[in-house]
Amino acid sequence: MASSSVVRKAINVPPTVRTLPSGIPSAPRLNLAARAPSDGHHHGHGPTLRSDTPSRFTGGGLKTTPAGLLYKTVVSPAVSTQYHQRHIHSSAIAKDAPEVPDYSAYRSRSDSNNRALSYFMVGSLGVLSASAAKSTLTGFLETMAASADVLAMAKTEVDLASIPEGKNVVIKWRGKPVFIRHRTSDEIEEAQSVNWKSLRDPQPDEARVKKPEWLVMLGVCTHLGCVPIGEAGDYGGWFCPCHGSHYDISGRARKGPAPLNLEIPPYELNEADNKLVIG
Amino acid sequence: MAFANAFYNTIVKRNSVFVPAIFAGAFAFNIGFDVAVSKFWDHWNRGRQWKDIRGRYIQDADES
Repeated sequence: MASSSVVRKAINVPPTVRTLPSGIPSAPRLNLAARAPSDGHHHGHGPTLRSDTPSRFTGGGLKTTPAGLLYKTVVSPAVSTQYHQRHIHSSAIAKDAPEVPDYSAYRSRSDSNNRALSYFMVGSLGVLSASAAKSTLTGFLETMAASADVLAMAKTEVDLASIPEGKNVVIKWRGKPVFIRHRTSDEIEEAQSVNWKSLRDPQPDEARVKKPEWLVMLGVCTHLGCVPIGEAGDYGGWFCPCHGSHYDISGRARKGPAPLNLEIPPYELNEADNKLVIG
Repeated sequence: MAFANAFYNTIVKRNSVFVPAIFAGAFAFNIGFDVAVSKFWDHWNRGRQWKDIRGRYIQDADES
C-alpha cells in the first residue's frame, strides 16, 4: 500500500537573510540553477541534459503506476500568483547601549560591614557546630558512665552521731573496709604537729581530712593489702599485722614496708543530717 | 563601620585567634544555653519539683 501513496516531500526553504557579494541572495538549500528535467527521449534535440537534473532511474521526474501517481518531482514550480508577505525577524533589535539593570539598591553600602558580617556568620556557625559536637560527644560518653542507680548503690551512708569521740568504726564499702575515726583534739594536734615533709609519703594532715575530727580511710594496707589493726602500732594509729607496717593517727605510713599512706576514699560530710556518705 | 573593622582586625584576621575564639565562644555558649534552659525549665515547672515542695514534707530538716 505504501507504494501506491504519493511521496510528497516538502522542503522549507529558509528565508533569505543574507546577500552574497555577487548580489545573489544566499539560500543554502535552494538550487537556483536547477532546470526542469529533460523528457525521456533525448536523441539530439530538446534542452540539453544537464548534470544537475536527476536522472530518470534515480526517480526524478514523474512516475505513474497502474494504481495511480507514484511520485512527481517538480524542480521549477509554477510561479505563485498569490502575494505572500514575509516578515523576517531573525535578529534582536539593536539598541544604542546595553541596558544593565540597576543593582545599586542591592549593593551593600560598606565593604567592611559586609566582610565583618560574613565572618561573623562563619564564626557563629563554628560556635554552634562546636557546641553541638561537644554535646554529642559528652552525651555519648555519658552512656558509658555508671547509671545513677548503680552509683546510688555504690554509696554507703554512716550516721556520725553513733561514733563517740576517740573510737574507730570499720564499715564495708564496695567490698573493702573503711576506717572512720572520730579523733580527739589531742590526736588532731598530734597529727598536725608531725613534720610531714620528712615522711616516706609526705602529706599534711589537712590534705587527708575534710574535717579534722573525722578521719576516713580505706582500711587496706598499701603494702600487700592486709587490713591493719586500729589503735595499735608505735604511732598510736594503725598497725598491719602481716608485715609490720605502722601508720600514725592520720593514716600515714611511718614504719615498716608500706610505701604509701592509707588511701582516702571519696566522701561527703553532711553537716545538717550529721551523716557521712562514702562514694 | 569602626566596630566592624575592629571585629575583623582583632578576631578574624589571624586564624590562630579566630579558631580559639570560636572554641571559647562554644564553651561560653554551652554554659549559657544550659543555664538558660534550666532556668526556663524551673520556671515552667515551678511548684512541681521536689526542691519546691520539699518544705511541705521535711519540716525538721528545714528547722535544724
